[in-house]
Amino acid sequence: MIGSRLSQLFIMIFVLSFLTFLLMKITPGDPIRSILKVDDVSVTTEKEEQLKKEYGFDEPILKQYGEWIINVVQFDLGESLISKKPVSELILERLPATLALAMGGLTVLFLISIPLGVVSALYENRWPDYISRWFALVGASIPSFWLGLLLMYFFSLKLQWLPMMGRGTFAHFVLPSFTLGIAMAPIYITLLRERLITILESPYIEAAKARGISKRRILFFHALRGSLIPLITMFGLSLGSLLGGLSVIEILFSWPGMGELIVQGVTQRDYPLIQGFIIVIGFLIVLTNLLVDLLYMVINPQVQQGKEARV
Amino acid sequence: MKESLLSIQNLSIKTKDDQILLKEINLELNRGEMVALIGESGSGKSITARTVQGLLASNMMVIGHVFYQDMNLLALDKSNHHQLLGSEIGSIFQDYRGSFTPYIKVGKQMVETIRSHYSIGKKEARELSLHVLEEIHLDSKQIFHSYPFQLSGGQVQRVAIGLALALRPKLLICDEITTALDVMTGEAVLNAIEKVRKETGCAVLFITHDLVQAYKRADHIYVMQNGRIVEEGSPEQIRCEHQHPYTKKLCSCLLSLPGENHLQTYQGAQSI
Amino acid sequence: MKNKQNLSMLLGIVLTSILAIIFLLGSFFGTQDPFYINMANRLSSSSAHHLLGTDHMGRDIFARIVYGAKLTIGLGLLIILLAMCIGLPIGLLSGYIGGKVDAFFMRVIDGILAFPDFILAIAIAGILGPSLTNIVIAIVLVKWIVYARVVRGLVLEEKQKEFVLASRLSYSSTFHTIRLHIIPQIFSEIVVMAAIDIGKIILLISSFSYIGIGAQAPLPEWGAMLNEGRSFFQVHPSLMLYPGIAILLTVLCCNLLGDGLKGYFKTGKRRNLL
Repeated sequence: MIGSRLSQLFIMIFVLSFLTFLLMKITPGDPIRSILKVDDVSVTTEKEEQLKKEYGFDEPILKQYGEWIINVVQFDLGESLISKKPVSELILERLPATLALAMGGLTVLFLISIPLGVVSALYENRWPDYISRWFALVGASIPSFWLGLLLMYFFSLKLQWLPMMGRGTFAHFVLPSFTLGIAMAPIYITLLRERLITILESPYIEAAKARGISKRRILFFHALRGSLIPLITMFGLSLGSLLGGLSVIEILFSWPGMGELIVQGVTQRDYPLIQGFIIVIGFLIVLTNLLVDLLYMVINPQVQQGKEARV
Repeated sequence: MKESLLSIQNLSIKTKDDQILLKEINLELNRGEMVALIGESGSGKSITARTVQGLLASNMMVIGHVFYQDMNLLALDKSNHHQLLGSEIGSIFQDYRGSFTPYIKVGKQMVETIRSHYSIGKKEARELSLHVLEEIHLDSKQIFHSYPFQLSGGQVQRVAIGLALALRPKLLICDEITTALDVMTGEAVLNAIEKVRKETGCAVLFITHDLVQAYKRADHIYVMQNGRIVEEGSPEQIRCEHQHPYTKKLCSCLLSLPGENHLQTYQGAQSI
Repeated sequence: MKNKQNLSMLLGIVLTSILAIIFLLGSFFGTQDPFYINMANRLSSSSAHHLLGTDHMGRDIFARIVYGAKLTIGLGLLIILLAMCIGLPIGLLSGYIGGKVDAFFMRVIDGILAFPDFILAIAIAGILGPSLTNIVIAIVLVKWIVYARVVRGLVLEEKQKEFVLASRLSYSSTFHTIRLHIIPQIFSEIVVMAAIDIGKIILLISSFSYIGIGAQAPLPEWGAMLNEGRSFFQVHPSLMLYPGIAILLTVLCCNLLGDGLKGYFKTGKRRNLL
């Protein structure tokens, strides 16, 4: 099961990178010209030919791609067209910041969505539930960057409690993490609520009550555990939007992460950077999916045992 | 001397939409007795059980009295009522798939149950669990480390019975526990119940639609139909001197039991 | 649950109507040109002339918001329609024909689905250049899959049901019966999905525009407006306020309507893509 998923994902990365590679070659906006323009050198045919040779652009496409793949495997992702630094260096520089923000956002997500989801399910159709559901509804309608702006406005500008941008102290960490967490929360709250309500109505929960197990214990050890599974699945599926959210928030708060980097790369048409980014992110996503699958197996023993024949 | 354990008096239950679920139920259960509650699905027997267990949905209108020893269960608030569950009033359910939480190992759930009632350590609880499993003739080590979905229906029921053995409740409610099992396994399960009764002296409220089982094992039988008790008596009385037409229908399905002289003809295939 | 969904429907209709009226009135009776630059009047506050004030180039904010509404909502609808035009037929055919064709499509779809939409948008924007058109293409390319998947699932379900009937009916009428049954089933599911999806798409477009890889200035797309207003945040915060509110209210409408429609069609829990 994992094997086929892995291979599927890897194929996808390479197909995507190859297509990127291909399209790069056939679209307008010649990279050679843009390099020359950046270097503020006048564009002449000889200079063009020279650079083409330098960058190996005059060789057959497949050969170029092949060379590129070999480089990739050795962790050489080429050089940024704009800054001339190695792409891998640029990305690695920024990776920790993005990971930190991701962790922060996920923590906030946890801290918000689990209590709200639980409260919502326990007090179904009473006022805590309504508040929770309206929060989820509005939260799902609000653009994350605007939310960040609002928070920034109040907490940085007006109240001056927290710094507005950049990375440095823990205080810098707070607003971006919160924004990310709140942006992601609504869908998990809704999901958790639905799932928990269904579980709490199941016969085995009633049986646990009949055995005399305390309601608190039932909630935390029996019900909650069962409802984690769809949450994890959801998480695996929403890695893409996590990435999008990260980028947007990084730009907003001038957080020096990969999102900021890649957007710059796109606006500047820095192809090696874009390609390198796709590969790295693709790889990270494969890794995360693997972790999610493993986690899934741990939590759901039925998968583990493959629903064995009866003892 | 007979000592009243459970006394249900004039219990009536209506739903919010005025649908009558139970009408004037009267039922007596003494210490150590096995009382059978027979009826088809929808006759109200499970609802009666749920009322005793305090697991009724909250939007029901309940009148009457349900005395457990000398406590009126209906007058208790939910948490006090729930405190009785497990240690005083034990339950075994029909849906064996729904008796234990599917993704937690059986042993862990047994230990959890035991420790919810006795303040003993994990080790001792484990010992006790293994012990009762052995008593019910199950392979204790294997069962202890299995998940509920890895066990057969009969095994799950017997684990639940084992817990009853460990907790020693005074009243054991068995709600259609053999319905989903084949005859042989069902017999094994019922024998295990007998064993628990002998060892702990508990009373059993045995809910079933199978008259044969009731006849064989119960001290007293109540017959329910449409939320009412239509007949009650000792097994012989029910068998031979029944008055109500419904009881007649039920009995007509009984094949003659071994050791009997007179044969009962069964009129038409009336499935219960 | 029913209660909340009815409330959502009501609120959704009310809010949508209010917004629609504002946008339509502004569009037909608005006196200001959303692109007219007037540096003398930059960063002014609300006045009779400029309902919501002017931005850093002296352009009327209200006019720009109204224009942005046409842009955003129009694009949202366009994307949904395109996605459906591609996805629905493929899903229908795939499910109906079944067998190898179906298996092939599912492999392709699963492969693409595994890849996040953001990456694809980056890739396309990176290659073709950042622009609104390209982002639209990127989003359509990812969205059609979802619709194809849902439709295929529905078709398979109906096929199973009809299979029993099929053994009694003649072969040709099976075809028609399926057609007759599937369309109403699909309709309710798809409409609910689409309503909520439009909201998501609006958020996507504005997010991409905000970070600069979607709509470019001077287009008054709401996300782009927020991007432009960034530098003036401290001085004239209303530049950030109004476009954001516009996005919030519009997406809220979509979600409310979608939620309400869910209750109306009594769909919901069954169709879980998880």
